[in-house]
Amino acid sequence: MTTTNSPRRARSRTKVRRRLSGLLALGVALVGAGALYSALVPTPQTAHASGSDAAQQSLGKQLYENTCITCHGANLQGEKDRGPTLIGVGSAAVYFQVSTGRMPLDGQSAQAVQRQSRFTTQQIDAIGAYIEAHGGGPLAPTKSDAELSQGNPAQGGELFRLNCASCHNFTGQGGALSSGKAAPSLQSATPSTMYTAMLSGPGNMPKFSDRQLTPQEKQNIISYVTSVQNGNNDPGGDGLGGLGPISEGFIAWVVGIAALVGVTLWIGAKA
Amino acid sequence: MTTGHDGVELPNDDQLAELSRDELVRLGTKMDGVELVEYDDPWPVKGTRAEKRAERVVAFWFVLGALAAVAFIVVFIAWPWQYQKPGHQFWYGLYTPLLGVTLGLTVLGLGFGALAYVKKFVPHEVAVQERHDGQSPELDRQTLLAELADAGNRTTIARRSLIKRSAIAAGSLMGLGLVVFPLGGLIKNPWGKSQAPQDTLAHTGWYQDPANPERVFVRKDTGDPHEVALVSPADMDAGSLQTVFPFRESERGNPEALQAALNRIDNPVMLLRFRPQDAARVIKRVGQEDYNYGDYYAYTKICSHLGCPTSLYEQQTNRILCPCHQSQFNALEYCKPIFGPAARALAQLPIAVDEKTGYFYAVHDFREPIGPGYWERGA
Repeated sequence: MTTTNSPRRARSRTKVRRRLSGLLALGVALVGAGALYSALVPTPQTAHASGSDAAQQSLGKQLYENTCITCHGANLQGEKDRGPTLIGVGSAAVYFQVSTGRMPLDGQSAQAVQRQSRFTTQQIDAIGAYIEAHGGGPLAPTKSDAELSQGNPAQGGELFRLNCASCHNFTGQGGALSSGKAAPSLQSATPSTMYTAMLSGPGNMPKFSDRQLTPQEKQNIISYVTSVQNGNNDPGGDGLGGLGPISEGFIAWVVGIAALVGVTLWIGAKA
Repeated sequence: MTTGHDGVELPNDDQLAELSRDELVRLGTKMDGVELVEYDDPWPVKGTRAEKRAERVVAFWFVLGALAAVAFIVVFIAWPWQYQKPGHQFWYGLYTPLLGVTLGLTVLGLGFGALAYVKKFVPHEVAVQERHDGQSPELDRQTLLAELADAGNRTTIARRSLIKRSAIAAGSLMGLGLVVFPLGGLIKNPWGKSQAPQDTLAHTGWYQDPANPERVFVRKDTGDPHEVALVSPADMDAGSLQTVFPFRESERGNPEALQAALNRIDNPVMLLRFRPQDAARVIKRVGQEDYNYGDYYAYTKICSHLGCPTSLYEQQTNRILCPCHQSQFNALEYCKPIFGPAARALAQLPIAVDEKTGYFYAVHDFREPIGPGYWERGA
């Protein structure tokens, strides 16, 4: 085929052009949608506690008396067989429990379940301010999520493996505990929830005071977790569940060896 | 022409000089009893376009392999491989896949090139070889046996038993040496008199040498193996856990010793601080009544079942879980096992606070061996 203007050649060329322009249009549409999304999406929730605002506290008192008082009591003292005292838990615990939807509690079970929060950031801060004013305790951080994840992920990784990995797995996949309890996966945890979880020790998680892990060390840990969550640690493609040698070895042996045997058979058949 | 083995006519020297290469090949295979039935040149007409195309296909695979090898070397050396933070990982994230793709293409190119060459250019031969029936002729067998026996006799090895035995000794001892090479490291006597007490199974890195008494402080790991961070009672909240390691003042400034204290397997200790309402419910083991400091209790992290790290601490139920075989220990009752295969309590480390510095120290080593049982341990 040396003639350049044969009708068949021309037809195939228009076909190629049509396909190319279709691809281009799809690409433009995708990029546009992405840009639109990033422009319109609201900024993520962050904890902002300002303890002394009277209006905020009265809003917090109202919310507390509407939703929390049944189990935690009129004076934060807790009710037997329903809920623990909130004296001394501080706004950090309020932020963690309410922003992750664990509180208000669905029902008594092995441990509180994570779901969509029922309160806005302002409302969470108001409840936090009320609890903080009446019982004291560790404060929720005032820094934004971006600031909280500023740190040294290498040192954070060391500290994570020493303090957190025994329950949460070394890449934050979570794991089982006793009697139906479990350490949750950290894949969707925001820096603020991680920070307040370390400070307040929700559920059966131990507390990590600022003298045990300094705020900077906490930020290092958060920067490590953000570097391994949401597929950030999968330069080779798929993380295979982040479970370590079990899934990886299984895939390598079953899929890899099967592929090798298949290729060998194919080469043998062709030769 | 003379007739040799198998009835093949052998050429004399003059005839040999005149034989062409093809005839030599035929003669050689015939002498081995091989008949070339089919031995076609895949390209009987030289220089056709098809032949040239086939040549280019083979060369294409080899050139692809060569280029991929060059790309592999360049990527290996020059690609940005240093860790980048999330959001800046595009080029860094390609490093590992690119290494695999380029090296894989190299191997693939070489392999496919070789395959294509064999397919396109190696003649398709069908060769038939005569099979000999039964054993070699009696003449061959007897002469060979005689040669072997003669060799044995003339070298006098049959009656030189000194040489024979010494050679056997050298050979077999060398074999024994090869066995010792991997297994020799296992030979040791942990109860020998020369063994330092802290290196036996009965003691840990928290052992205090009575001849050289030095306070063994409680140190935490900050991620920097050479940093000395001691722990005081004000450092932990109620309901918390800290993994701690032994530290002696004589180790300060000695990076090897500081690192070794963190690495030694029987060193990790869980320093727990109970919530006040839990601390009021503690049941202490007889003889360990003064091992705690207020709400602070220290237990070994090494499971008494098979030595896994038992650091899954539930601060409200006060259970300590072992991830390997699901043993559970009750921290409020001297870490008695309450579930799973572990049969012994986790050993408790006696702790107190140094009067001068205010830091925790270990009063003495564990009163029992930690970790899994062993033959001499008893119950």
